[in-house]
Amino acid sequence: MTESSRKNIMVELIKVGKVYPPDVEALTEISLSVSPGEMLFLTGKSGAGKTTLLRLLCRIEQPDKGLVEIDGMELGKLSRHKVQQLRRRIGMAYQDFKLLPERTVARNIALAMEVTYQKKSFIRRQTRTLLDRLGLKSKARARTADLSRGEQQRVAIARALANNPDLILADEPTGNLDAESTARVMELFDEHRRRGATILIATHDPSIYSDSGHRVLELKDGRIVEQEKDHESRGEKE
Amino acid sequence: MNFLFAVLGQTIRNLFRTWSSQFLTLVTITLSVLIFAFFSLIYTNLLNVGKQLGDDLRLIAYLDEEPVPALQEEYRQKILKFDAVDKIVFVSSKEAFQRFKKELDTDRDVLTDMPENFLPPSIEVYPVRSLDSLTRIKRFSDYLQTLPGVLKVQYGREWIERFYSFVQLMRIVVILSGTLLIMTTTFTVAHTIRLTLVSRAEELELLRLLGASGTYIRMPYFLEGGLQGLMGSACGLAALYILFNWIELRFTGSALFGIFPFTFFSLPIICTIIGLSTLLCAAGSFSSTRKIVQV
Repeated sequence: MTESSRKNIMVELIKVGKVYPPDVEALTEISLSVSPGEMLFLTGKSGAGKTTLLRLLCRIEQPDKGLVEIDGMELGKLSRHKVQQLRRRIGMAYQDFKLLPERTVARNIALAMEVTYQKKSFIRRQTRTLLDRLGLKSKARARTADLSRGEQQRVAIARALANNPDLILADEPTGNLDAESTARVMELFDEHRRRGATILIATHDPSIYSDSGHRVLELKDGRIVEQEKDHESRGEKE
Repeated sequence: MNFLFAVLGQTIRNLFRTWSSQFLTLVTITLSVLIFAFFSLIYTNLLNVGKQLGDDLRLIAYLDEEPVPALQEEYRQKILKFDAVDKIVFVSSKEAFQRFKKELDTDRDVLTDMPENFLPPSIEVYPVRSLDSLTRIKRFSDYLQTLPGVLKVQYGREWIERFYSFVQLMRIVVILSGTLLIMTTTFTVAHTIRLTLVSRAEELELLRLLGASGTYIRMPYFLEGGLQGLMGSACGLAALYILFNWIELRFTGSALFGIFPFTFFSLPIICTIIGLSTLLCAAGSFSSTRKIVQV
């Protein structure tokens, strides 16, 4: 691969393997490239390795084999300080939300921006905008523990998008959402993609990737079994 | 600037969120500083008393006969050879008689038939004024006793020894309460911060995932510890000041306060106590965050 082509890759995995003790192969020989501004859907059954793959990308975990690179940086070789800097460029919406239940919705979202030392005015404005866009405007002062699962999920997404990150990782972002909220979330993701963010979405929900025109990658037992560009190409194959 | 605001904001939020444990820690620090400062205040005032006593402190060596100028010089050399002194005064029999007469005041008639040289001549030695002179005085006395022609050496031995023992005891109390202060403040703050950190494990984990720097995570706890030290020591000293003023007011006009004016700590000492407490608490907090928060 030439230097110029590598510069056009935001996420790259080369023959990545991850084994959980005692011998559960979560990922095997995963090779994958994602360009800046691309939206990629990771699909597959539970336990297929989608979450593990996302966790490797924000270095919550490290691979046992292979190479993981983000924006040309090999994650395994990053210093602690560089990992912190990298994580500030990534917005991750976790499957289990990872919200602080006793804090308000606004505080949970603001936290992501405070660690990047954003101005107070920006934090206030951005929090308001995101809550408005996700239909949570009236919940700003509510404790997240008092919200429904769907509302909590939207707060987790808002937090992931708060810093306008270069890379957005979303693990089952619409799992608890109704059709209207799903549409709002996907619209936001698409806006971020258009401004140049790379987005990886792990999902079971075909409604968000069918007809989307984006690349879909199916994982099975930790291996990539199918890559589709869009709905039409899947139709042609069938 | 944004970093500063973020860290300060986080510190204030932490303090409000755990106000009950913060309050208990503050009370503990206040009491520790109060105990230490109380004994220190007594000790420093005793040192002042010692210095003041030193002003009147003298050894009187009674001689068997009037020393001629050459012998006076010899005595002077021998005394100076032993230790530095403020002054040496030779008192002749006649001078001693005149002083005695003056002291008797209206009762001087009793001396009418007495010869003017019935009192022995003496050497008055005034040691250098310091509390240490109290500790040295016994050795000085023993030395003077060995000089030729000295009949007896006199000083307020018993009183000085008792006073010295009391000062020594106070010194030990101050050292012990100081050690207690160091241990209490450091361990209490470290323990409070540790409990806070454990209770916020979820939040710390989230901050790590969001890419928070080590400074961002640790600094609020470090400031929290420092702030507890600052406020605790300030409260402790304020309480002592109130107590001191109350005692002074209560005992105004008493003989003790009349003779020895007791004073409160000077500003540099107040600043030192507050500064040290702040540092100790910040150190306790730092040790906890270093152990628990592995960023």
